[in-house]
Amino acid sequence: MEGVPDTSGADGAVAAPAAAPAAITVDRVTKVFDAADRTVTALEEVSFDVPRGGFVSLIGPSGCGKSTLLRLVAGLLPASGGEIAVGGIAPREARRRRQFGIVFQQPILFDWRTVAQNVALPMELLGRSRGEIDARSRELLALVGLADFADHRPWQLSGGMQQRVSIARALTLAPPYLLMDEPFGALDMITRDRMADELLRIWSEAIDTTVLFITHSIPEAVLLSDRVVVLSARPGRVAATVEIDLPRPRTAEVRETPEFFALESELRRQLLAAEQA
Amino acid sequence: MGARRRRLATTAATVALVLGGWYLLALLMDASGDALASSKLPYPHSVLRPVLDNPDTLLDAAWATLSTALLGFVVGGAIGIALSVVMAQARWIEAATLPYLLLAQMMPLIALVPLIRSIVKSDSLTRLLMAAFVTFFIVTLSALRGLKDCAPAADELFRAYDIGPVKRLRHLRFPSAMPYIFSGLKLAAPLSLVGAIVVELMNARSGLGFLMLSALTFGPAQAPMLWAAMLVTLAMGLALSRAVGIAERLLTPWQMRFREEAR
Repeated sequence: MEGVPDTSGADGAVAAPAAAPAAITVDRVTKVFDAADRTVTALEEVSFDVPRGGFVSLIGPSGCGKSTLLRLVAGLLPASGGEIAVGGIAPREARRRRQFGIVFQQPILFDWRTVAQNVALPMELLGRSRGEIDARSRELLALVGLADFADHRPWQLSGGMQQRVSIARALTLAPPYLLMDEPFGALDMITRDRMADELLRIWSEAIDTTVLFITHSIPEAVLLSDRVVVLSARPGRVAATVEIDLPRPRTAEVRETPEFFALESELRRQLLAAEQA
Repeated sequence: MGARRRRLATTAATVALVLGGWYLLALLMDASGDALASSKLPYPHSVLRPVLDNPDTLLDAAWATLSTALLGFVVGGAIGIALSVVMAQARWIEAATLPYLLLAQMMPLIALVPLIRSIVKSDSLTRLLMAAFVTFFIVTLSALRGLKDCAPAADELFRAYDIGPVKRLRHLRFPSAMPYIFSGLKLAAPLSLVGAIVVELMNARSGLGFLMLSALTFGPAQAPMLWAAMLVTLAMGLALSRAVGIAERLLTPWQMRFREEAR
C-alpha cells in the first residue's frame, strides 16, 4: 500500500465513473478552525471514496480529525477547501434530503420517550403516518434484537442495548448513507465485539446501505470494512489506504483466520507509521 | 414503605419542634411582663380560636386570595416560559433583555401597586398582575437555563434530519428543560400569594391581606386572627408548591429522581 489515496481516477469530478460508482467522494478536503487567537488545521488535503453499498472505515489516533471529517460528509460542518460529493450532490443538500443515518459515540436517546418512540423519532419529526411509524419501528427493533424492549425506557437498558436502539433509529428512514462515529467506543470489550458482529449482520440485511465508519479499533476495522483509510494526526492526512479483501459474508469466526491476522498487523504497522510521521 | 414512614416521622418532628419553639417564645413574651404580650405573640392554641369561631371569614378570604394568586401564577408562568423561549433564540437577545428584567425585579412592589391600580382601575386585576409580576422572573431564569442546557450531540442529531426550530423546541429543547421549568414553578407558586397579598394589604375589600389589615387596625384583641391569616397563607403556599411537585411527577415521570418508583 502506498500513501497515495485511491480516488478512482475521478479527480474531483462529481459524475460517477462507470466501473465502481463511488457513493461518497472526498476530494482534497481541508478543514481549518478559527479560534480566537490562532487557526487550527484539522484536516489537510484528505481524499478517499466509498463505493456504493460499501463499508469504509476511518482509523487514526485521537485528534486526527476523524469526527470532523464525518461531520463534513454529513453536511453538519462546511469544508474550508476541497470537494465532497454524496451521491453526486453536496453534503448539505444530501442532509436536506434526509439521506443520512448517523450514529454517535453516545446513543443520545431521550428519556421522555420509550425505546420504540426513540426509534420512531425521525419518522415522527417528518410527519409520517401512525401506522407506518408503528410497523417500521417494530421491524427495526426486531432487526437489532430488541423486540421485547419496545415499551422500556432508555435508562432501563444496558449501554450496548442503548447503542443498538440508536442504530435502529439511524436506519429508520432507510437512509442510503449510514455514518457512524465510534459507535462502540464507549462499550466494554466483550459487548464491543458482539456489537461488531451484530452490525455486520444488520448491514447485510439493510440492502445497499453505504457505510462510513469511524473507529480506533484495528480488529473492528478489519472485520467490518471493505477498505480502511488510515489518518495521521494534526493535521489529519490520509497516511494509507488498506483494502480488506476478506470474503463476505463474514462471520465472527473470520477473526481466527491467518488472513485476518495479516491484515490486522498490516493496519497496525500503517497506524504506527502514521503516528510517527 | 420504610422511606414513607421516615418522611412522615420527619414531618411530625419538624411540626413539633416549631410548635414547641412557638410556645416557648410566647411563654417568654408573657413572662416579660408586657401587658400586650398576647397581641404580639399569642399562644398557638389561641390562634386556633378564630379559625374555629368564624371559619367562613377565613375561608372566604383565603379563596379570594388563592383564586387571584393562582390566575396570576398561571399568567406569570406562561409569560415567564414565553420570555425564556424568546431569550434562548440568540445570545444577543438574552444580553439585551436580562438587565431590564433584573431592574424590574428591584422595583419596590409597594410603589408599583397604586400605579398599576390607577392604570387598570380594577382591584382583582391589580392583584392578578402583581401575582404574575412577582412570579414570572424566576420561571424565566430557570426555564432559560433549561433551554440552553441541551447536549450538543442531540442538537446535531436534529440538524442531521434538517428539523426546523419549532419542532426542535417541541421535541428536544422543551422536554429537556422540563426539570428546570418545574423547579422554577415550584418556587414561583408560593410567591404568587405574596404578590396578591401585597395588593390586598393596600386598600382591598377582600382576601387574606385585607383580613390581616383589619385585624391590625381593630386592635390587640384581633391579633390571633392576624396570625391565623398568616398561617393560612403559609399552608396555601406549601400546598401550591406541593401541587406543582405532583404535577411534575405526573407529567415527567422519566426524570432521574422519579425512576425508582416508576420501575
